[in-house]
Amino acid sequence: MTGSEKTKRPVQPGRWARTAVLYVVLSAAAIVVLFPFAWMIMTALKQPGTEFDPEFFPKQPTLENLKRVFTEFGFVRYFLNSSIVAVSSALFATLFASLAAYAFAFKNFILKEKVFAVIIASMMVPGLMYVVPQFAIINRLGWMNTYRAMIVPHLANVFGLFLLRQYMTTIPKSLIDAARIDGANDFQVYGRIVVPLALPVVATLFLLTFQFHWSNFLWQLIVTNKESLYTVPVGLSMFKQQHEQLYALKMAASAVSIVPISVIFVFAQRYFIEGVTKGAIKE
Amino acid sequence: MKRSALAENVSALVFLSPFIVIFGVFLAWPLFYSFYLSLNKVTALVNVFDNLTFVGFQNFIALFKDGLFGWSLLMTLYYAALIVPLGIGTSLLLAVLLNNKLRLSRLFRTAFFLPYVLDLFVVGIVWTFIYSPHFGVLTRIFETVGITYFSEQGFLGRPATAMPAVVIVNVLKGAGFGMILYLAALQNIPDSVYEAAEVDGASWWQKLTRITIPLLRPVTLFMVIVGVVAALNAFVEVFAMTTGGPSVNVGERAYGATWVTGYYLFDTFYVRLKLGYAAAMSYILLAIAVTVSLINLRLLRPKTDY
Repeated sequence: MTGSEKTKRPVQPGRWARTAVLYVVLSAAAIVVLFPFAWMIMTALKQPGTEFDPEFFPKQPTLENLKRVFTEFGFVRYFLNSSIVAVSSALFATLFASLAAYAFAFKNFILKEKVFAVIIASMMVPGLMYVVPQFAIINRLGWMNTYRAMIVPHLANVFGLFLLRQYMTTIPKSLIDAARIDGANDFQVYGRIVVPLALPVVATLFLLTFQFHWSNFLWQLIVTNKESLYTVPVGLSMFKQQHEQLYALKMAASAVSIVPISVIFVFAQRYFIEGVTKGAIKE
Repeated sequence: MKRSALAENVSALVFLSPFIVIFGVFLAWPLFYSFYLSLNKVTALVNVFDNLTFVGFQNFIALFKDGLFGWSLLMTLYYAALIVPLGIGTSLLLAVLLNNKLRLSRLFRTAFFLPYVLDLFVVGIVWTFIYSPHFGVLTRIFETVGITYFSEQGFLGRPATAMPAVVIVNVLKGAGFGMILYLAALQNIPDSVYEAAEVDGASWWQKLTRITIPLLRPVTLFMVIVGVVAALNAFVEVFAMTTGGPSVNVGERAYGATWVTGYYLFDTFYVRLKLGYAAAMSYILLAIAVTVSLINLRLLRPKTDY
């Protein structure tokens, strides 16, 4: 506002008023969007039995609910499971997508275009379509109630392949050729040139897959029925069914379950935003 | 330096194989396997996979006669009809507001985008609490302005408001996604276009309707798809908030006001273990999704190059 804008438009008299109105509207929108989370946290800090008090701030704030989530219920285990599933899924999905993207971006092989088209076309399939047959396959493989079942079916990330291939095709061919002349093989080109150059996109994909698997609910619910394997959302759903009335505890459990993603988001926001803008419309 | 074609193919395969194997087993094969399952019926509830009987197209025929399935498609359509305009409207509004070179716009952008990365199930639980009858905070807010319509059953307990309430949760959670896309598109519109319009004496409204909205068309079409896909995949929010209810009577039968196809699919397969029937249902979902995607491709192609 302080004259940093190019002098393309004359300074309007209503400028300050307009800015003020914008801030009021934006703040109102932010309150609407974020209020549920604030309410959740405030409720989590209320004494059990006083969850429905109309005050926003708890009269006698307590950390007891948060403590009970970890001490009396299995959330430590659920966090561990979610971490194992989300980290390994993100790691392998990113690795596999980047390897395949390298092949599609820099290699020549038979049926390349056709294979790519088929893979991309699969993005049209609604996710729910896969639930029944994947469940059947997991059963046939005898993988029920294993980490494998939670992780392996999602390791072919088509969106990630698309994202990475798009990016890799912008890497100058001359760089690759120069390395080849110096005697580098494919793995060296991949590991020392392509991946380092594509690192922002690789990071984006890692974070997006981590976030997806941290929140993946339906699939983890279906392939596990042992409490020791519950992930955070599944544990939360069981908790919700068994303790319908314990609102403060439920809100405390909800609040802690979104902490990891929120923290990651605050520090790595730009990767999430890039993932959205790069992935959506690219022609 | 020339490498033989065979060596090139082999090394490509090495890079491709992890992805292709997983893709083949868990994404490509399931489409065929699902079709096979859809032609079968589960005959015993123990050891489901060893008790499948081939029934031909019976599941599909039954689906067409199943009033509850028809209802679920209707509810899915209703979901889409709500989320598409609400989602687009909210995202566009936020983007237009943020496209004003304000000092704190990045802070607001973060605030609006944050819920998008959070867990829908958790968000659903929180909103269920907010929507509760009697003491739910939103119910109370409405009471303070004299509206007691929601006091007894809350927002999710009334057939008329359950679906909009569920959709609004998803709209507020997802608005940041569309906002980012619209914002990127808005920033791609050169200032000169607006300057030229101003020279011609265009009003604020004319600039919005004649320049901004038409140039945002690709994003809008994409958002339509996102909304339709969200409707077809709607499950978690329904599971978290309403479990398909509350019940509505249509003629002699009772249906669920939020009984979308995704929830019916889950119920059929996970609760009632009717795998074949659920597989047939998912094929209908696939057909709808593919049709919508193809229509979108048609619409998107010609106008993108401006």
